[in-house]
Amino acid sequence: MQTTEAASVPPSLDEKKKEVRSPIWVKLRPIYPFIVILAIWQVAAMQAQGNQGRLFPTVDAIMFRAWELVTDPLFRALAENPNLDLMGYFWKLLESPILLHTLNTAWRLPFSFFIAAVVGTIVGILMGRFAFWESFFVPLLSVLLPIPAIAWTPIVVIWSGIGDQTVIVITAFASFLPIAMAVWTGVKTVNPVWIRAAQSMNADKMTIFRTVVLPGSLPMILSGMRIGLARAWRAGVGAEAFAGIRWGLSAGIFDAQEYLDIAFMMVALGILGLFGFVLEKVLFQPIESRTVIRWGMMEAMGAQDKKV
Amino acid sequence: MRLLQNIAKVYLRFLSRRVFARISVHWFDSNSPERLSLSSFLGIYLSMVTKISIQNLRKIYDTPERRVHALEGVNLNIEDGEFICLVGLSGCGKTTLLNMLAGFVEITAGTITMDGRPLTQDFDKGVVFQEYALFPWRTARQNVEYGLEIRNVPEEERTRIAQDYLRLVRLEEFADFFPHNLSGGMRQRVAVARAMAFDPQILLMDEPFGALDAQTREELQELTVDVWQKTKKTILYVTHNLSEAVYLGNRIVVFVPNPGRIREIVRVDLPRPRDDLAPEFIKLQRHVNDLIRDF
Repeated sequence: MQTTEAASVPPSLDEKKKEVRSPIWVKLRPIYPFIVILAIWQVAAMQAQGNQGRLFPTVDAIMFRAWELVTDPLFRALAENPNLDLMGYFWKLLESPILLHTLNTAWRLPFSFFIAAVVGTIVGILMGRFAFWESFFVPLLSVLLPIPAIAWTPIVVIWSGIGDQTVIVITAFASFLPIAMAVWTGVKTVNPVWIRAAQSMNADKMTIFRTVVLPGSLPMILSGMRIGLARAWRAGVGAEAFAGIRWGLSAGIFDAQEYLDIAFMMVALGILGLFGFVLEKVLFQPIESRTVIRWGMMEAMGAQDKKV
Repeated sequence: MRLLQNIAKVYLRFLSRRVFARISVHWFDSNSPERLSLSSFLGIYLSMVTKISIQNLRKIYDTPERRVHALEGVNLNIEDGEFICLVGLSGCGKTTLLNMLAGFVEITAGTITMDGRPLTQDFDKGVVFQEYALFPWRTARQNVEYGLEIRNVPEEERTRIAQDYLRLVRLEEFADFFPHNLSGGMRQRVAVARAMAFDPQILLMDEPFGALDAQTREELQELTVDVWQKTKKTILYVTHNLSEAVYLGNRIVVFVPNPGRIREIVRVDLPRPRDDLAPEFIKLQRHVNDLIRDF
């Protein structure tokens, strides 16, 4: 009996690693589409003549502009004062506009998302646990959810003025709604068998909530956070442009529109895209691979469990 | 030997109760006859051996269309350490009975007593479900520890007990696996270990091996008997599979539907380990089959 069961042991981690190791050209597959698009862009941009060329810069022009945006203040300072010390280098680099734009967006957005995640989780749990709060919040959320958060910007600008606070309010509000909805759904749809199992072992309600409902609804909560982050990103970028603030990537893009600085816009857009990618990689994927994926709950959510 | 010890223990308890009764009775009525008769002792002894007593149990569901008599007039006495199998067609109330014992379903009428006292919601029972009810976010060991955590058992002891029970179901080396890395049979073995780890008074099993393939089910039946013989727990086991019932049970309670009631209680005296191809085994299985179908 033990021998037959031992045959179904999953392969050890070492074996798995051997399987996964693949040649470099397979690993680089995700960047192939970008190479293709850049190549097409380059060829098309090279056809543009004269004034058109200014509006449709080639890839190398964009790259050069990116380099210029980052290092321009530094080189200018070096021209004035060739004996710059190390900290001087650093401070001058920080003065470059693209970095200032990026840093402003980079703290504002995660900060608002964090607020939204905390408040959204609390509201979602209240809704999932208490019938009163459920009937209180569900109509509210269903009305608010379809309204694009950016549409609130003029009102919030009038109320709280031009500045960071406006962007933060819009962003947090935009991502709070889907997070609350997802947490609520997650808490409500925890597999009832787990709850029964905990009940049968005489766990009280609070313990069941802490040890069963919360971990059991984690897949839903995480996917809600993902949607929330995506919405925060969209609303935040829009609000930056409309709230009329000075620093922020999309504020920079709208500024650049005035000067027809296409290359700057492209660079800023690239950074925005990169941002989402990095957040996904450093925030969600590690959490997921350590929790729901490790527990096999993602496959259970989608397809039926294979190992029956 | 064990029986003698048991009788002696119960007799002592009986004596002390009598002394207490005498004092308390004296308080009110000094003329009450007080005799330590053997016959009264035997009566009380038998009632103490009876672990669970079910009397005139009834369960009625009201659905919008009609009233469903899930159980009607069920009487059953279960002795301590017995292995009882509940069999019957779908809708005959066997799972309802189990759920009432587990406290998941309310009793419409009748009584269930345990050790002579009415059943409370929070008595210690281990339940093994038909579905995979392990917590996927806990390893096998942590799953087994769950019931002990609820009872605030210190961590070291918890780990030790969990290890013991995992050994009992022969899964020691899989202690740190998450359930989704275990096969269906192994998951149900962990579920059995989890249901027993906090030393419950009875074990309720609702078709625990129904979703498994035939070979795995046979292994787990053999394992269940082994675990039962080692731990001497009272087990109530619901199953559709008659061969499983004859293989496992001391007694088989045969239910029939409309309304759900007990048709007959069949005693199985075959020696263990039982051979499911032996003529007596098959004869008994056929008998139970006839009971279920012709009524």
